Amino acid sequence: MPETPALDVRGLTVRYGGTTAVHDLTLTIARGETVALLGPNGAGKSSTVNAALGLFRPTAGTVELLGREPLAAVRSGGVGAMLQHGGLPSESRVGEVLRLVAGRYADPWPMADLVTTTGIEGLLDRRTEQLSGGQRQRVLLALALAGAPPLLVLDEPTSAMDVEGRHAFWATMRSLADRGHTVVFATHHLAEADAVADRVVVVDGGRVVADGTAAQVKSGIAGRTVRFTCTDRTGLADLPGVTAVGGSGELVELATTDAEATLRALLAGRDRLPDLEVRGASLEQAFLTLTGGTR
Amino acid sequence: MTALFVFQLRRVLRSWQYLFFTVLLPALFTVFFTKIFGGQAASPGEYQEYAQDYMVSMMCYGGLGAALGATIRLSFDRASGWLRQLRVLPLPGRTVVAVDVAVGMVLVLPSLVVVALVGRFVNDVQLGIGTWATLLGVLWLGSAAFVALGMLLGLALEEKAAGAAIGILSVVLAALGGLWIPVWIFPDGLQVVARAMPSYWYGELGRDVVTGGSPAMAAVVLVGFAALFAVAAVGVGARRPLHAVAG
Repeated sequence: MPETPALDVRGLTVRYGGTTAVHDLTLTIARGETVALLGPNGAGKSSTVNAALGLFRPTAGTVELLGREPLAAVRSGGVGAMLQHGGLPSESRVGEVLRLVAGRYADPWPMADLVTTTGIEGLLDRRTEQLSGGQRQRVLLALALAGAPPLLVLDEPTSAMDVEGRHAFWATMRSLADRGHTVVFATHHLAEADAVADRVVVVDGGRVVADGTAAQVKSGIAGRTVRFTCTDRTGLADLPGVTAVGGSGELVELATTDAEATLRALLAGRDRLPDLEVRGASLEQAFLTLTGGTR
Repeated sequence: MTALFVFQLRRVLRSWQYLFFTVLLPALFTVFFTKIFGGQAASPGEYQEYAQDYMVSMMCYGGLGAALGATIRLSFDRASGWLRQLRVLPLPGRTVVAVDVAVGMVLVLPSLVVVALVGRFVNDVQLGIGTWATLLGVLWLGSAAFVALGMLLGLALEEKAAGAAIGILSVVLAALGGLWIPVWIFPDGLQVVARAMPSYWYGELGRDVVTGGSPAMAAVVLVGFAALFAVAAVGVGARRPLHAVAG
């Protein structure tokens, strides 16, 4: 019997009043994957995540977590979640909240290790009101991890962090993936998706517009750019892999889906390629290409 | 359930305003009002009446303030996102609500007991042991109407309005319900208003017990208020989902 997927979303549609936040979205995430839901603000990421966690009933479609209904999966302790609008209780200390949450799970993450993993050493006796934005985010991550759940769902986990905190957080997320946790996180930071995820699902306008590894999303859409200077442009458009010839004056820019083949053909036909540059499209370019078209 | 109960209870008890307004202030008022008005009493019997009346009124004032204060705070937990966080823990939603109700009910007890002790040992209120027990019992059960009202307001109000409501509502209910100044001193129009207040009937409940009357009428009215508030709270709770629209 094949293992049930960690997350199975079918035909999910979410409407608030007149606006449709999520449009017939279908997405299957296997156990052990680290997946970024990448999209601009308002793309439908949070709606997808919240519906997946059973925080509300979608207009249409079904969601299963670990082969169960969302609420049942959450109740069983199989899911840890970090919500964009989640929060810590007032008049309490970090350690109290953490112990309360850990106590709900049959087999919680050992406390000392949890504290180190999430980098909240020294914060346990701190009142929740006295945490900085980044510290709060790390405490919320610790709450999500407290039960050592197989599936982690994180909505914009690094939104309140500075660059340093963000990099430390990415390292933590990668180590979670290495430990076998399925990690699904929503982000609008391209670098975050690139650094952490082994699969990037680009969401825009409530739909999946691209799905693959970060490299595939980059190359599949924007490809690479080969740049050099020359005066004669004849035949360039017919080179292998080339999808467009751009640039101005003597500067030539070839957009290509196969930089290697394009270069071989170029070098075979010419003695010199002055000012040669080969650039990978950044995920940002891919992202803008993908999401620009649907606006 | 127990862990969450202890956790939530501890949070409320950490707020000094809470203890000040629901325990200390009613206890001080009990002494203050009894000394002022009771001091003018013509006979020991008349003093005893004053002392009993103000003690009951202040138990009610403290009790309803505690019930409201402990539950309207629900709004803060919604605003901070803690309610939403609880929803993604292995913890049934009903347990969370049940714990909040239980915390509200339990926190009424210190107000009732402290004011009763002040009445007995500072103001020398004389009641039979059975009457003491009945008084505490009915006022504790009667506070359920204010726990329900607090849950309703906690669910319905935004954070700022809730903060204001905690401070103002128990004062308004106590004043209009005749807990500070007896209703028979009120002008006619205000007496009608007073009788529309759950706090008036809460006071009646206690006065009926100490004067040996039947508290049935007051009990029925309070049960009605409790049911009304509880149904409204469930309605509001169902209408205000916790999801975020952004993103």
